[in-house]
Order: sequence, then C-alpha cells, then structure tokens
Amino acid sequence: MSVALDISAGTLPETAPAVLEVRGLTKRYGGLVAAKNVSFDVRAGEILGLIGPNGSGKSTVMKMIMGIEKPNAGEVRLNGVNLAGKPAYKVARAGIGIVFQHSRPLHRQTVLQNILLGLLPDRLTALRAGHEAVAKAKAIAERVGLSAVLDRLPATLPFADLRRMELAKAIARNPQVVLVDEPFAGLTGGEVKDFSDLIVSFRDEGRAVLLVDHNVKSVAAMVDRVLALYLGETIAEGSAAEVMCNETVRRVYLGGGISTHERPEAVFAHTEPVLQVENLSVFYGKAQALDSVNLLLHPGEFVSVVGLNGAGKTTLFNAISGLVPYTGKIFWQGAPLAGKTPARIARDGLVQCPETRELFGEMSVAENIALGGQHLPKPERLSRRDWLFSLFPILEARAGQIARTLSGGEQQMLAIARSLMMKPKLLILDEPTLGLAPVILSQLSDAMKLLRDQTDITILLGEQNVTFALPNADRVYVLEHARIIWEGSPTRFAKEMASGYL
Amino acid sequence: MKKQLIIAVIVLAVVGIVPLTGVSDYITGVLTMICFYAVFAMSWDLLFGYAGEVNFGPSFLIGVGAYGAGLADANYGLPVVVCIAIGTLAAVVGGLLLAIPALRLRGPYFGLITLVAVLLLQDMIEIFAGTTGGEIGLSVPDVLAVSATVNFYYAFALMVAAGGFLLLVANSPFGLILQASGQDPVEAQALGFNIVKYKVVAFGISAFFSGLAGAMLVFYLGTASVSAMVDVAVGIQVIIAAVLGGRRTIIGPVLGAAFLVGAGEVLRPAGQMSGFIVAALALGVIMLVPDGLLGMVRGRRA
Amino acid sequence: MLAVQILIDGFAISALYALGALGFTLIFGVSGVLNLAHGAILVTSAMVAWYVGTDSGGGAFTGAAAGVAAGVVTAFLTYGLVVRPIQRSKAIPAVERELFVLTGTLLWGVMLQIGLADIFTSTPITVEQLVTGTINIFGVRTATNEVFIAVVSWAVLGALWLLVNRTPAGRRLLAASINPRALTLVGVELDHVHLLAWGIYGLIAGIAGVLLGSFLGTSSAYIPALTGTAFAIVVLGGLGSVSGTVIAAYVVGYLETLTAYLVSPSWRAVPALLLLLAVLYFRPQGILGRR
Repeated sequence: MSVALDISAGTLPETAPAVLEVRGLTKRYGGLVAAKNVSFDVRAGEILGLIGPNGSGKSTVMKMIMGIEKPNAGEVRLNGVNLAGKPAYKVARAGIGIVFQHSRPLHRQTVLQNILLGLLPDRLTALRAGHEAVAKAKAIAERVGLSAVLDRLPATLPFADLRRMELAKAIARNPQVVLVDEPFAGLTGGEVKDFSDLIVSFRDEGRAVLLVDHNVKSVAAMVDRVLALYLGETIAEGSAAEVMCNETVRRVYLGGGISTHERPEAVFAHTEPVLQVENLSVFYGKAQALDSVNLLLHPGEFVSVVGLNGAGKTTLFNAISGLVPYTGKIFWQGAPLAGKTPARIARDGLVQCPETRELFGEMSVAENIALGGQHLPKPERLSRRDWLFSLFPILEARAGQIARTLSGGEQQMLAIARSLMMKPKLLILDEPTLGLAPVILSQLSDAMKLLRDQTDITILLGEQNVTFALPNADRVYVLEHARIIWEGSPTRFAKEMASGYL
Repeated sequence: MKKQLIIAVIVLAVVGIVPLTGVSDYITGVLTMICFYAVFAMSWDLLFGYAGEVNFGPSFLIGVGAYGAGLADANYGLPVVVCIAIGTLAAVVGGLLLAIPALRLRGPYFGLITLVAVLLLQDMIEIFAGTTGGEIGLSVPDVLAVSATVNFYYAFALMVAAGGFLLLVANSPFGLILQASGQDPVEAQALGFNIVKYKVVAFGISAFFSGLAGAMLVFYLGTASVSAMVDVAVGIQVIIAAVLGGRRTIIGPVLGAAFLVGAGEVLRPAGQMSGFIVAALALGVIMLVPDGLLGMVRGRRA
Repeated sequence: MLAVQILIDGFAISALYALGALGFTLIFGVSGVLNLAHGAILVTSAMVAWYVGTDSGGGAFTGAAAGVAAGVVTAFLTYGLVVRPIQRSKAIPAVERELFVLTGTLLWGVMLQIGLADIFTSTPITVEQLVTGTINIFGVRTATNEVFIAVVSWAVLGALWLLVNRTPAGRRLLAASINPRALTLVGVELDHVHLLAWGIYGLIAGIAGVLLGSFLGTSSAYIPALTGTAFAIVVLGGLGSVSGTVIAAYVVGYLETLTAYLVSPSWRAVPALLLLLAVLYFRPQGILGRR
C-alpha cells in the first residue's frame, strides 16, 4: 500500500499542464452557502481526491463542473476554455464525463444499448448504429467486466454491475476529464478492488480524474493529491498522507478530543426497552441498505449510532419511522409498529428529525414551531414553545423570519425545536451536525446534554462525527455497510474503535 | 421484435385484401378511417411514448394540415397533390413554431401550449368564418378518388408508409437518444446530447405525418371541418387510441385506432354515449394496464 | 359610460374567473395535480343547479344548493375514482405518474362532458339567478346578479384566505403545499389533508359553476374552453400562487371584456390566449410563480 503511494507521488511531473482549472466556484441556495470560492487544478494522468463530510459541498462542486448546476460565481476551464454555466451536454461534448453516485440506467434498454448511447454521434440522421460504435461499446463493456450481460436489462443486474455500467458510460465519449462521485458506496471488498483498478486505469490512460468521497482512508491508495472541503471551503490540500495529518482536517473530522459521560448500565438494566428492533433488513431495489440489524433502547437512554455515509443510518431511522418498507420486527413500547402510518407513529411519540431537516421553507420560524405543536392544547403549546425558546434563544430572536433564509445552524435548531414541540418519547436525530460550523456544534451539544439530564426523552442519535456522538451517549452502536458491527459503552468505544474514524 | 413484425405484416396483408373481397363500402369506409386514425395515433406515440412529452393538441397539427390543404383547393383550385403538400408543410411549420420554444419548458407547460394552440386555432377558424366556412366547414371541390376502395388504398398506403418510417426511426440511434431524453434528461445531457434538438425533430416528424394525414382526410371526406379535424375531442380520440393500443410500440396505436373506430361503429346505437364508453375503457386501461392492449398481449407472452 | 360598463362587467367576470381558477390552483398546490376535468366540474354544478332549480321547479336557492353539492360530489369522485388510484398504481412507473394523472383527468373530463350532453343535450341553458332586477351604478344599469356574483366571489376568496391563514386545518393545507414530507413527520395524515383539499375545491368549483351558469349560461360544449381558461389563468399567475391566480384572473377578465366590447364578442377569448403563449415563452413561471 505505502509503496503505491510513494510511486504515485513521484511520477507526476510538476510541470504537466492542468487540463481542468477550477477557479472561485461558488454556489448559494437561499441562506445556505454550499460552496465558497473553491479553486483547484487537475492534471492529465492524475487523480485528485475531493474529500469532505456530507454537506461540505463536494457534490455541488462536481455538479457545477458538469453543468448540472449553475454556479453563482467562478470559472471552470477545460484546456483554457471556460465552461462554467454552460448546459451539461456542451460540457460533456467538450470532454468531461461523469460517474453519478446513484446508478441511472435506462430501464427499457439492454446493457449494450445503454453503453452504445454514450458512443452515438450527436447527429440526427444516423439510421443505424455504425459497426465501429457497436464494436467499441462491446470493447468498453469487456473492459469494465460486463461482457457476459450485454443483452440483459438493467433490472436483472446485480448492484455492482449497474455501477460498472456507470463507469462504462462515463468513458464512452473518451473524455479528457472523468468526474467520479463516491464510487465505492454499496460495494463489497472485492468489488472495491476491481473498481479501484478501473479508475486507476483511467488515470494511466492519461485522463484527469476527480474523485469525490467522504473518507480519506478509502481513497488514499488511489489518489495522487487530495483537496479537503468543509462547509463549502477548502481547508487543506496536498498528498493523502499530508491531508490526513493536517490539524484542521483532524479537528473537523474527529472534532478535537473525545469525552465520555455515560450513566452506569444499572440505571437502565431493569427497564423494559422502549424501542426494540429485531432482524431488520431493507432493500432498495438490488442494493441492501440494512442487513439483519438488531437494536434496543431503554426509556430515557441516550444511544448513538455511529457510521459513515452510506452505512445505513438514515435507512434505519426511516424504517423505524415507517417511511420505508422493511422485513423484520420493530416494537415500540411493547407493541409492533407494523401497519401504522408514519404520521401515526410520529403522533404516538416516536419523532424523527431527519438529515434533510424538512422545514417548511416558506413559513416563518414561529409557524414551523406552531405546526410541530398543533396536536397540543393551546396553553401547553405556548408553555412548551417558551421552554424551547429558552433552549434555543436564537429562535426567539428570529421568530418572524422565513425558515429558508436562516443559516444552517439556525435551521438545524429549528428542526430540533419543531420535533421537540411534538412531546416525543423517543427523538431520533439524523446527522444534526451536517454542514455546521464547530461553534454551533458546541451549542447543539449543550442542548443535547440538557435534554438528557433534564427530560426523560429517549434519544437515538445518528452521527459520523464521533466527537459529537460520544459525550452525551450512554451506549454506542457502530453501523458499517448495512450491519451493526459493534456495540458498547462510549468509554470502550473510545478505546477500541475511535481511531478508525478519520 | 421480429416475431411481432411478422405478425404485423401478416395482419396488414389480410386487412389490405379485405376491400377486394366484396365487402360493403361501409366496411371499407370504416377501415379507411382506421387507417387515418392509426397515422394520427402513431405520430402522437412518437412524442409521448418515446420523447415523454404529452401533446394535448394533436388536432392542432391535423387541423392546420387539413385547413391548409382545404383552403388551397377551395380558394386557388390547385391540384390535389399540391394542396396536400401545402397542408403538410403548413402543419410542419406551424408545429415547429409552436414546439421550438415550448419544448424548452419543463413539466406540464408543453402540454398546456399545445392545448392553447388548439383553442386558438378553433377560435380563428370561427372568427374568419367567411374564408374558412366557420362551424359549417369548408367544402372542397376535389376528392382523392370516388371509389371507396381506391380511397381505402390511399389511406392504407399512407398508414404503411408512416408506420414503416416511424418504426425505423424508433429503432434507430435517433430513437434511442429520444428515449433517453424522455426517460432521464439529466443522463442524456451528461452523455452529450442536446435533448431539446431531438424532441423538436420528433415533434416535426409527428407534425409531418399528422398534417399529411389531415390533408388527405380533407380530400376523402370532401370537407374540412372543426368537428372532424380541430376540435379538442378529436385530439382526445387520438390520445385514447394511442394509450389504449399501447404506448411506445408504434404498432400499438394502430391496434388502438382499430379498436377506437371499430368500437365507435359497434356502439353507434348508443348514440353519443359511445364516446363515453370508449373514454371509460381508456381510463380503465391506463389505470389497470398502462401498457395498453399490446402490453396485455405482450405480458401474457412474458 | 362605456368605460364604466366595461369596468363593472370586467370586475364581475374577473371575480368569477378568480373563483373558478382558485380551486385549480389549490389542488395543484396541495395535491400536485393539474385537474383537466376542472371545466366539467364547473358545468356539472351548473347543470344540476338548473335541473333542480328550473327544470324541476325547486326554486333558485334549492337549485344553487344542489349545484354546489354536486360540485363537491364530483370533486370527490374525481379524486377517489381517478386521481388517487393512478397515484397509487404500482403498474405505472414513477416518472410517468404525472403524465398519467393528467391523461386520466382528461379522459374523466371527456366522460363527464359526454354524460352531461347525453342527459341535458348541449343546448346552452341558464341557471336561475339568485337575485334579480337591476341596479344603477354610476349611471350604468347593471344586473343585480352581476353585483351579487362579484360580492359572493370576493366573500369566498376572503373566507378561503381566512381558512388558510387563521385555522389549523388551513395551515395544514398550506404546509402540505410547501413540504408534504415534513407534514407527515409532524404527525399529520396526508390522506386527510388531501380529502380536505378536494372537498374545498369541490365547494369553490360548485359555487363558481353555479354563478357562471347564472351569468353566462352553461352547456357541456363550454367545458374544454372553461378548463383552458382556468389553466391559462393559473399558469399566468404562477402555478401554486393564490394571489397570482387572482391577479391573473383580473388580467384575463378585463382583457376579455375589453375585447368583447371594443373589438367583437367572437374575439373574446383570443387576446388572453395570446398573452398566455407570450408568458409561457418569456416567463413560464408566471407573474408570481414559485415552483
């Protein structure tokens, strides 16, 4: 492994011209800044890794390069020609190809036809696909390992083959630049190796490859250089080893120190579990998002589920909230949840504050909170609202402001406040720290502490930020590749598992 | 695919011979109308089934073709072939003028523009009734042929030619790109295709055949009228035929047209409720068997 | 004198158009459905009002009540028989669902149109006016019915505003049009919200249909044009914007009135349609469009 790193770090001549030059790329959505002044170069025959946690802006940057999103400012130069703001088909024809994070096959066409599409000239008059085009399609299919399934429809293919097809489509036009978005999500160890080799082969052909991922370690062996993003801005640049050691990067990913304050097990030992998940499995088409997950929560407990992007946390929470179909059993306060509508589950006290927050964007802060408390009698609603305003004073200050225009941290606080208005017995929080500045994180952490110590709400927290996940937790589960691989106290986690999380 | 083509050819051959076997002119007339509606429906399917765009006003294209040809004949006495050419050209030009800006828009806006176009055309015809004959219609002095059988063969030839061309196009690289544009516009663009260009061309092809059939229809019926060619109801018949028959198959709409016209005749005793029954059937089909009649047949085989 | 007449007539017809188009906007905002059977619901209400009130001799008020009830029933039938089954059908691929709902409502509208023509023929009829006589406004003799229509239309608009902004049920409707998933997360059954939306839609459409029938007359043949006008107004104002709909209704209403008086009645509908085309080409999101 380290040998490979050394070789790749040495072979690239510093004087090689940059094929793709990105300068000052910026994108705003209302009050949220997704990307701010991002600049970098990618040279021919090089793989640049663009890393960052969810919400760091890396997918937005990729979409802006491809022309799927229009930047508010900045340039994207391919061989000196600025493509920023041009429609995607012009960018594709100029020589940039993209491997999307989620496979998007044409369902009514065979594998061969899917790949052939990328090889067709943009001409109206072709009545038959030329022999060379078909031959080339077959060659590309062979290269990515799809020769055996050329005549099959995508619905019959396993997950990994669909991902292979995405790789094939991306290089069909023989692009100078290949954008790859989170290539390894959902793949097994062996498949990851195959895909790595394929992507490295793209580089070795002289293409410029931009690889986007959230985990440095998983791409360290492949990339020549790394650019780390956080909250839309660049925080570090250099070789993979340099970036992994970088102080700011470590702070952002690990967040600084880990502290643990779990309450003794005895406190919960004799209580009936308030939530019990048995053998839960979820499939999205071919991909298995959860595999026989078992989990339980005691009343008043604070449990953290730690896992990286794509591990399955959101799927787990959506299954519990009744939003996705599943196999297995879930018991809430002793009774099975099966058959209840998601709204009913929420009204019964099992409330989720999702990763996407799901605010009523065009309504004010006060209106959002009022909607959370609509099932309460008026006096109780008002007193509960006052309590929440004391918990999150900034919300009271901004009570009349339209939710869409709030900053990221304020939106998160509003989402939590709205969920708390519903008098939850169990509150599920899905990645509340997504895209938030460290200063807001400590505010949120204080709020979590207060909830744990002063209320009897059971809390289930899903996080990839270990620093945030641990201090208030009584127990920790680790979810990886759809499975629970570890369970224990936060203290034991800090000893055994924490080092794996950069 | 090949098996279905063979079956289609056999069925066509059989149908093609029917008028020579001594059936009444009435039956031949019904078959002729089926041919015309088949062309309307196949043209519509290219846009809906392949490009994923709903044209709520196919009768705009039919009407422009029909009135273009009819006015050329009634006012200038040009030869029938020239009139038909003028009508077809008018439909293509009118259609493209409409489609080029409209296809840039997302969502239901395209459908809405096509609907507005029909309403405007209808209004214009009624306002300028002096020239167009208004609600009464425009009689044309010429006809394609006097014999019912010859008329049938003109329509049959049109249907076979249109069907053949559309099938070729649908299975060509153009068709593949068109389908991609309809199924997943982002992906199609990321692969380098200007999807608006392809949709506009598809609309142009649809306009060509709809206009041509509309123009020929004028010289079959002897008049150009709102109720037969422009009315929104005509457009809805076309949509019913295509959806009922099976979208995205080219052959399906032919089946649908046969069913539509046939059922209309069979249900004639029910008066105007025949239209009700057919619409109800179509509604049932799209809810229960969205792939239409052809889809039901294919489903059994799979 | 003519100017005043145009002002008054235009105001009344615009108010009515606003009412007619508002239900359309509401359903699009909450359910995401462009109901192409809209004109059919309007005319059904008018026809039933005429049948109960005039043809069966029930009197104007009973007729009007029956008409409004018919509007509600037809709206629920549209939702339950056509829209909901298509939205839930597993046989239809998700990307085509919207297209199928559109086509489904189109076919349903055709069924209603033919059904009405069969029962009532397509000869235009007029619903009996609830108030008769004339009134003098700034020197112009105006049918009291016209004033009544304008008043009722604005009263309903006001009631709807109150509902959406001041009642819990109304807030939920508004919330559903902004973020249905969020509404589920705060424990509200979306099914109930949709039922409420369609019920209100039927009520508004019923009232609009009955009033239209008493002002301009009605017939099954008017259905496509009515759907077209409602659709046009809603798009002009901006899909999903209630205030946009009202403003656009006034633009269209006055355009039509001006054309009818100053050019010719047969040209009535044309300028509005041309304006719609222009708007679609240059500013498709409409005057106050949000989506």
